[in-house]
Amino acid sequence: MATPTVTATLHKSRYVSGEPMLLTVVYGHPDGQPVTVTVVVTDAAGRSSAPVSVTTGFEPLTVTVTDDSGRVWSRLSDDGATAVHQAVA
Amino acid sequence: MPRVTVAVRDSAGRTATAHVDYAVLAPVLGGYYLSGNADPTADLAGSNIRSLTQYRSLADGYVFPGWQKPWLVTLGRQGVRLNMVLELKHYGAPDAGPQTVTVDGATYPVPAPNMTIQQRPGTTWPRAYGYGQVLAGQCDGLLARALSQYRTLGFGVNLQLASELDTDHEFGTTEGGVGYTWAQADARAVSAMRYVVDWFRARHLPAGTTFSLGVGGWDRTAYRRLHPESLMSRLDFLQWNAYATDPAHTALARFRRTKDWVVADLGPVARSRPALIAEWGVRAAEIPDQAAWIATVPAAVAQLNAEGGPQIVRTNYFNSGWGTLTPTSTGLAALRAAYLRPPYA
Repeated sequence: MATPTVTATLHKSRYVSGEPMLLTVVYGHPDGQPVTVTVVVTDAAGRSSAPVSVTTGFEPLTVTVTDDSGRVWSRLSDDGATAVHQAVA
Repeated sequence: MPRVTVAVRDSAGRTATAHVDYAVLAPVLGGYYLSGNADPTADLAGSNIRSLTQYRSLADGYVFPGWQKPWLVTLGRQGVRLNMVLELKHYGAPDAGPQTVTVDGATYPVPAPNMTIQQRPGTTWPRAYGYGQVLAGQCDGLLARALSQYRTLGFGVNLQLASELDTDHEFGTTEGGVGYTWAQADARAVSAMRYVVDWFRARHLPAGTTFSLGVGGWDRTAYRRLHPESLMSRLDFLQWNAYATDPAHTALARFRRTKDWVVADLGPVARSRPALIAEWGVRAAEIPDQAAWIATVPAAVAQLNAEGGPQIVRTNYFNSGWGTLTPTSTGLAALRAAYLRPPYA
């Protein structure tokens, strides 16, 4: 069985005190690449809804972010393949 | 350097990790100056004011800590970072003639100051020791006296040479009866300041001693002339002052102006130096709501530092002259509040 994959990137390498920090995490699992399902509902008259998409992986993955400075990171978004976390410098 | 660790774990407990390091610049030191070099201890109490500007004439016999200023030693030992402005300008003490200075057993003859500065028409021109006198070693006794006193403080300070050389030279100077243009005076000052820094650096200095050049920073051409790389390589800080004297002045624009000239005009050594704002202030005559203006300063300084280039590391409010806080209590409360916000805290 394969292990998950992950990369982490900060939008800057140097911050001013008080400045917002953004961390982008790209992750996945070779055994279960995420899939995106897009649903469009169409009625008998041929009228269609706007598409709604959801992304999920077959292998459930848990992402945790820690910071040895004690800085607290909070999740801004996560689509199952890319998560963005935020902290304050 | 702080490190973020990201861990991704699957249902079987298999885990992948990634690390990314980053740096957070140290907080900017919020600072202060109280009119007349007065004791600011009461204004600093309980605040996040951690930096202080002081002015001394090298002609004075009491440069460090200053005449009847034991509180300066107390503040310094408490960690307040001192920016000591040392001026060749003579403040008008009675002994404006030649002096014989005895320092640690050595005697130095020092001639009367032979330069006039700030030659604004219709005013009395202050006297100062001339750049030629400095370069001839005739002011070494003043430097030796200041250094001897400095060594007794017990901590290092920043030595800012001159207050505002652009203000001193704007209308030219006269040394020993010879007139010099603004540009000529700038060139002579650069040589003299190089001499002074080298003189100090050749001797034992308290740990933490740093140097900067005092410039108002309101004239682009003069600022460029006064910051050749040959001098900047000897200095630790850039320095300029920032005042709001027009309702249209924003904090961002006022603190940015000289920084932009640094980035555009100066060499890589100068651009690598952090910036010490020895004076900033809001003139109440044009901007009565000083508190509102002061409240905009933290965000302005944070933005400038986030943009890159020279980092502003200290900002000392000038509660005197143009910056006089009126009423004091309201202005001081605004300053204290500002210094509790990022990038100061």
